[in-house]
Amino acid sequence: MSRYLFVVPPLTGHINPTVSVGAELMSRGHAVAWVGHPGTLAPLLPAGALVFPALDDEVERRIQDARVQWLGLRGMAVLKFFWEEFLIPLGHAMVPGVTEAVSAFSPDVVVADQQALAGPLVASRLGIPWVTSASTPAELVRPLQTLPKVESWVVELLSSFAGSDIRFSPLLVLVFTSPSLVPGAFPPHYVFTGPALAGRPGGSFPWEWLTSGRRRVLVSLGTLNGAAGERFFGEVVSAVASLDVQVVMVAPPGAVSAPPNVLVASSVPQLDLMPHLDAVVSHGGHNTVCEALAHGLPLVVAPIRDDQPIIADQVVAAGAGIRLRYARVRADEIRTALLDVLDSPSYAAAARRVRDSFQAAGGAVTAADHLEAVVA
Amino acid sequence: MSDVLTRLAQIISEVVGPDFLLDVEITRETTFSDDLGLESIEFVALADKLRAHYDVDLVGFLADMDIDEIMAMSVGRLADHIEMAAARG
Repeated sequence: MSRYLFVVPPLTGHINPTVSVGAELMSRGHAVAWVGHPGTLAPLLPAGALVFPALDDEVERRIQDARVQWLGLRGMAVLKFFWEEFLIPLGHAMVPGVTEAVSAFSPDVVVADQQALAGPLVASRLGIPWVTSASTPAELVRPLQTLPKVESWVVELLSSFAGSDIRFSPLLVLVFTSPSLVPGAFPPHYVFTGPALAGRPGGSFPWEWLTSGRRRVLVSLGTLNGAAGERFFGEVVSAVASLDVQVVMVAPPGAVSAPPNVLVASSVPQLDLMPHLDAVVSHGGHNTVCEALAHGLPLVVAPIRDDQPIIADQVVAAGAGIRLRYARVRADEIRTALLDVLDSPSYAAAARRVRDSFQAAGGAVTAADHLEAVVA
Repeated sequence: MSDVLTRLAQIISEVVGPDFLLDVEITRETTFSDDLGLESIEFVALADKLRAHYDVDLVGFLADMDIDEIMAMSVGRLADHIEMAAARG
């Protein structure tokens, strides 16, 4: 039996893969704990999961306030703010709590999300092996390579925080996608597991609203961007109002006035819903995209920021969807793209190929196999 | 407005869609990052148009800039670059 400590930021999309991998490790008899923001972790983890605090509610609130400010930024300012005002301060804020968690739990391995920089820093200091959980593959493809000065600015920020570029563990990098979406040659310790989806708590949904014989579409901008998406949601409503499809839209209450074929909900059990759908409209968050592809569903992707344009391009390159603009997209473009992915079989066929590659990759089982091998 | 600046404003308008610029006047000081909020797919479209019209490599032009220079990149600075590139022939 071994002991694994997951270090995670207060971000649902980054916690989710660790929930599945942690559950798989526990089912094999290993001891597992998480360190992060307890309030964000609680609803995502199974009951009774061991959680160590690294962010109290006040610090977490300040981080969320900064994120609201960040949502108002555009262009390169987004990247600057992300590193200087979010990732690095978050790393500093989590160092004491992660250090205490390591002392209290004595892990054999620290599994650090790529956006929880305190994980590699503390683990290196204390001489504990650390593994990278790349909840998005965006950093693998060097998104800033055409801007060498910006790329080296990121490395300098990391070096002044931790002494080196700690985005990738020298032992094991878990990447929750497959080479069908991220082609290229990577070092052998980069393991593509596909998405880790099992073992997550579900939720309630008015299943009786779904009527048989009609095609169904999920529209989601993820957990972080929903409140800022009112214009986009409005365009989607205009796009689908006249279509014979049912649309489940994850949006804040009152964001749109919904026609009868649109159900607006502030949250949905997304994984449970996937088997009932025909297509997904997304901002290109890596979790939602992989959940859709894992169910063989074609996508319309309107990326907003961060890694989302990269994820969107990966979907397009795989043939599994269409990319749209976000801020200036029009209802007619959304309608055309949505009907295209619903009606042209090639998109769903490509999505099913990605689904098959995910199944072959093994998900949480493969991740757990490799985590066991780090200790062996 | 110089000829290049006028043509550049037209190209930007084609890229983002003219109806989105109703309340934005494109001047030398207009920034691509904050004022226009150019999305990466629009940036690619702009680069294609600049290559076709002026044989100018937008990616190469930005490659030498640091993050603050990219944030401050204005329509005027790009127009100057296009004019200089044309003068060099």
